[in-house]
Amino acid sequence: MKHLKWIIPVLIIIFCFLGFLIAPHDPEAMDIANKYAPFSAEFPLGTDQFGRCELSRLLYGGYVTLGIVLLGGGIVLVLGTLIGLWLGRANAARSLVFSSLLDAVTAIPPLAYLIIFVGIWGNSIPTMLVALTVSLILRMIKLVKTQTEIELDKAYVLCAVSSGASRSRVLFVHILPNIIRPLVHFLCLSCAEMIMNISAFSFIGLTLGDDVIDWGSMLSEGRSMLMTHPSLLFLPILFIFLCTLAFNLLAKQLEGGDAA
Amino acid sequence: MSTKRFLLQKLLQLLMTLFLVTAITFILMQLSPIDAAEAYSRRIFTVDETRIEAVREQMGLNRPIVVQYLDWLNDLLHFDLGNSYVDNRDVFLIVGSALKETACIVLLSAVLQAVGALILGILLYLTRKNVIGKILAFASIAAISIPAFYLATSFIDVVAVRWNLISVSGNTGLMRYLPAALCLAVGGIAFFGQMLSKAIQQAMSEDSVLYARCRGLGDPYIVVRYAMPQAIISTVPTFMQMMGMCMAGSAIVENIFSLPGLGYRIVNSLTNRDLPVIYATVLFLAFALVIFNILADIIQRLLQTRKGDL
Repeated sequence: MKHLKWIIPVLIIIFCFLGFLIAPHDPEAMDIANKYAPFSAEFPLGTDQFGRCELSRLLYGGYVTLGIVLLGGGIVLVLGTLIGLWLGRANAARSLVFSSLLDAVTAIPPLAYLIIFVGIWGNSIPTMLVALTVSLILRMIKLVKTQTEIELDKAYVLCAVSSGASRSRVLFVHILPNIIRPLVHFLCLSCAEMIMNISAFSFIGLTLGDDVIDWGSMLSEGRSMLMTHPSLLFLPILFIFLCTLAFNLLAKQLEGGDAA
Repeated sequence: MSTKRFLLQKLLQLLMTLFLVTAITFILMQLSPIDAAEAYSRRIFTVDETRIEAVREQMGLNRPIVVQYLDWLNDLLHFDLGNSYVDNRDVFLIVGSALKETACIVLLSAVLQAVGALILGILLYLTRKNVIGKILAFASIAAISIPAFYLATSFIDVVAVRWNLISVSGNTGLMRYLPAALCLAVGGIAFFGQMLSKAIQQAMSEDSVLYARCRGLGDPYIVVRYAMPQAIISTVPTFMQMMGMCMAGSAIVENIFSLPGLGYRIVNSLTNRDLPVIYATVLFLAFALVIFNILADIIQRLLQTRKGDL
């Protein structure tokens, strides 16, 4: 029962990410004669306005969305931790300059970054990845920096230093294991937020590119058919909801441990 | 460090951050492919290379970037952000009205979040040991996972279009902002409700509470009188920070409800390549976020020192 709380969210995420491997149809294959097909053995979730298999499209959309989220999350975790640790160790004067700089860069909302980057490079997956990563990594750095500063004052660091541990050993062997939990917790919450942001941006027209299948654009297409074919709206929303929920549940699990 | 020195340091940091925000905004806009001279001339006459060059000369866009930046900063300090390329209105007025719109949504949403979170937090705490509590806890995680833009669209599709309870646009007064604020608030209520319940739980395990119990006070009284104030205080800094994020987060909801707030303006001015408005909106949104963040820091610090005194 205890493990189930970990396994279920992870399974949902893996299914949404790699589900495209078992997609029954080509998500681009159109079959106009067969549009708005009901649920059937051949098309498990029916077809959309162009007769494309809805399930396959959802699974490919998941691959794209979660691909961005997981890749972005990975970059944020690794780079954010490295830079944050380094900054946490820096002296006060440097710290003031950097923390103002960090505050300034984090103050510009992800939407603004995205819009500006879309302006520079056009609508594409890399644009979305860069915009989300930039706005997140800075918050991550800030978190790691604060956590490191707190840990540095603790006695075990002093003990480690006095027994001859090098600077990098103190940071990576002693401090990192102590702060990794809140970091991963933050990362899970961020992943949930990223999924919602990607869909939201793509919904209001800041898409991932013209031919890319993703949940947000499926939603905005489905919205016009709400009255006649509600499943085209509700299925993408269900997938977005499930993935976000999975990340939030993981975050909740991680949070439970450090309640003290 | 004394409180006075801390405040002074924060003020310094605020000024420095605001300065850096202007620099970053400027650099980002320089990176963007929108050519100010071209955007400006396309508004007035048909495009012609020599004309564009003339405009570039006239607007001083061929000067070194640093000079342009200092010039822009100087204008900013004199509250002169130029006129919109689209309708030639003063950008300050446009941003002012957009700021008012966003502030209305965020303020209303903040009130909803505070009230909702208080109620949910107490409920979550009181029911934490039984089935209802488990369901509530799961429901609040689920509520965080529903995207605000989806709430907003379903609100319009169902309440406005299908049931005809309100009109899609053109509402006035409270009803103009309430739907947007509500959609924005749902996630926050769930988030802060959980946080508050946790804080109450923590506060209830403190010595002062044990003492209150020994005095024979009932649990409900202790929660309201002792644990709640402490729990609320500990969530205030995060709440302030989240309100800053809400300013940015309301962009999506504003777009869906077509309320001309800051986020709506950003998206709109970008499609119109209306450079002065883009600068100003991004800048003011960032300003708002910075100020909220610093306020959160200061409140946290003040609360900590007060706790130390006690």
